[in-house]
Amino acid sequence: MKILIIEDEQQLAQSIAEYLSEESYLCEFATTFNQALGKIETYHYDCILLDIMLPDGNGMKILEELKKQDKQDGVIIISAKNALDDKIKGLQIGADDYLTKPFHLSELAARIYSVIRRKQFGNSNTVRQNELEINLLAKTVSIHNQLVTLTKKEFDLLVYFMGNKNRVISKSTLAEHLSGDFADMLDNHDFVYAHIKNLKKKLNEAGYDNYLKTVYGTGYKWEG
Amino acid sequence: MNKLLNKTLKTFTIYALIVLAASVPAYYYLVDSIWLRELDEHNEIIADRIEAELNRLELSENELNTALTLWNKIQPGTNLEKTNLDLNRTDSTYTVLRRNLYVEYEDINRFRGLSRVIEINRKNYLVTIETNVEETEETVIAIAILTFLFFLILVIGFLIFNRRLSVKLWQPFRSTLNKLKAFNLNSQASIPFEKSNTLEFEELNLALSKLIEHTISVYKSQKEFTENASHELQTPLAIIKNKLDLLLQKEALTDRQYQIIEATNKAVTRVSRINKNLLLLAKIENHQFEDSEEINLSDLTTQSLVHLHEHIESKALILQSEIDGELSITGNKTLLEILLNNLILNAIRHNAQKGIIKITLDKSGLTLSNSGNKALDIESLFKRFKKSSDESSGSGLGLAIVEQICKRHHWTINYLFKDDFHIFKVSF
Repeated sequence: MKILIIEDEQQLAQSIAEYLSEESYLCEFATTFNQALGKIETYHYDCILLDIMLPDGNGMKILEELKKQDKQDGVIIISAKNALDDKIKGLQIGADDYLTKPFHLSELAARIYSVIRRKQFGNSNTVRQNELEINLLAKTVSIHNQLVTLTKKEFDLLVYFMGNKNRVISKSTLAEHLSGDFADMLDNHDFVYAHIKNLKKKLNEAGYDNYLKTVYGTGYKWEG
Repeated sequence: MNKLLNKTLKTFTIYALIVLAASVPAYYYLVDSIWLRELDEHNEIIADRIEAELNRLELSENELNTALTLWNKIQPGTNLEKTNLDLNRTDSTYTVLRRNLYVEYEDINRFRGLSRVIEINRKNYLVTIETNVEETEETVIAIAILTFLFFLILVIGFLIFNRRLSVKLWQPFRSTLNKLKAFNLNSQASIPFEKSNTLEFEELNLALSKLIEHTISVYKSQKEFTENASHELQTPLAIIKNKLDLLLQKEALTDRQYQIIEATNKAVTRVSRINKNLLLLAKIENHQFEDSEEINLSDLTTQSLVHLHEHIESKALILQSEIDGELSITGNKTLLEILLNNLILNAIRHNAQKGIIKITLDKSGLTLSNSGNKALDIESLFKRFKKSSDESSGSGLGLAIVEQICKRHHWTINYLFKDDFHIFKVSF
């Protein structure tokens, strides 16, 4: 899988690449508007991470260019601006997702995972891991072909882990993912524990092979 | 408070009163002295006439004596009698008070007298002429009444002019004042003052324009700073966050190291939250949430409660909600969601375990109450970064944002502590 990281901040681009390269992702970089334009014209990428504030141009133009060329690359906008207008405009032009800085790499990985799955697998978007089968489109989970009923949040968590296999994800990261904007406004992150506990219980009862592990006391890791 | 013109009016009136009061004795002395001089002249003329006419008659000694006796008897105010005084003696004038003997009531009259030695048939006679003069007190009273009348006319005039002037003269000032009152720094538009042909007002307007322009530019740059700083901080924060994520993936971390990473991560999240909230505040103040729509607030509130349900449950809070079924309101949806979330989250965070949250929504407004044990400082409650509790995880901007959102929608927010409940009421 090829990923293009269009980001003028090198440290950020490197971190993203380092995190993603441990999956089967191959990352390429573009640090300027023109460099990015050159790359998208020449190559095809499974997913493009696009910082819309580039020193020599607006990232939105790149998005427009992709549409003009009728390219099917998935695009995730990464922006320091949390402006709703930008978000709506970006998604309208054809971005698949929008992520505001600062974000967790696990969050980005989960989004990339979803975007690629959606783009490439279309209607039969199913993820398998041995006895576990997740239908991303229908949002259903089955173990040993038995349907497991999960809540929206539990399903969300499961997909998040799928996008971050073998990664340590801290409780606070999960809290931010689950509660979005106001995770830090909450005194404790016990609700994360409650959701994880329920998810584990349901998967266990259905007989999965205990892939979700607790590490360092409050961190989690999905092995696969 | 007194109006400026009334203050000058008071001074002017007092001054006029003093001047006019002082004029009463002045007028009196003037009138009285003119009067007396004229009467002296009059008496002298009469004395001259008596002397000339009696000499012209060329009466005999006897005839003269008979005439004089008769004269003295009937001629009031004059008296002629023989005298040994020298003809060259200087005339004497005097003022005397006499009772009027011809009326029943007591009547004292003032007379101006002249006694002069005249020569009739080569003999010296002393002629005394007395003419009635207006009494002192009568003159004073007449002058005082007249003066007082003029004083009244003056004061009435002052009042009328004052009223007219205050309308006309101060009109530019009023217009400036009204514009200043309507001035809103947030709109960042300077005030176009009306031209005035009064030097002072023109100077005032000029100074105010300068001040306002300066204020606006300071305000703008302060906002720009907030906005730019917030933006610029997001990228380094993203780097820190991502490096921590990478660090977390390293093999063989100790639990202690993991805890440090986690604590750092939480702090970074908080900084970025503060950043985002500052940016949000700047945006609300910059009118970047101007679009309004009809919103079903009942639905939105219920949604927020559902969204935050797990947090209410995790603290075992008792939720008592009275939400009016179909309450629609015009406002900005994004901001309304933030308002609801912030208020409900506050009620959750600053609540005791197994505490109570009451939420009431009706036409008059939205009320959120939660259990608490002591009143919060209302002065600093809505100020930025003023935390009213020891709990430290918040951004310190939640209520400031709520207040700004209320302001943007022209609603009011009030805080009340009653019966061990913190009560926040947004009145639509």
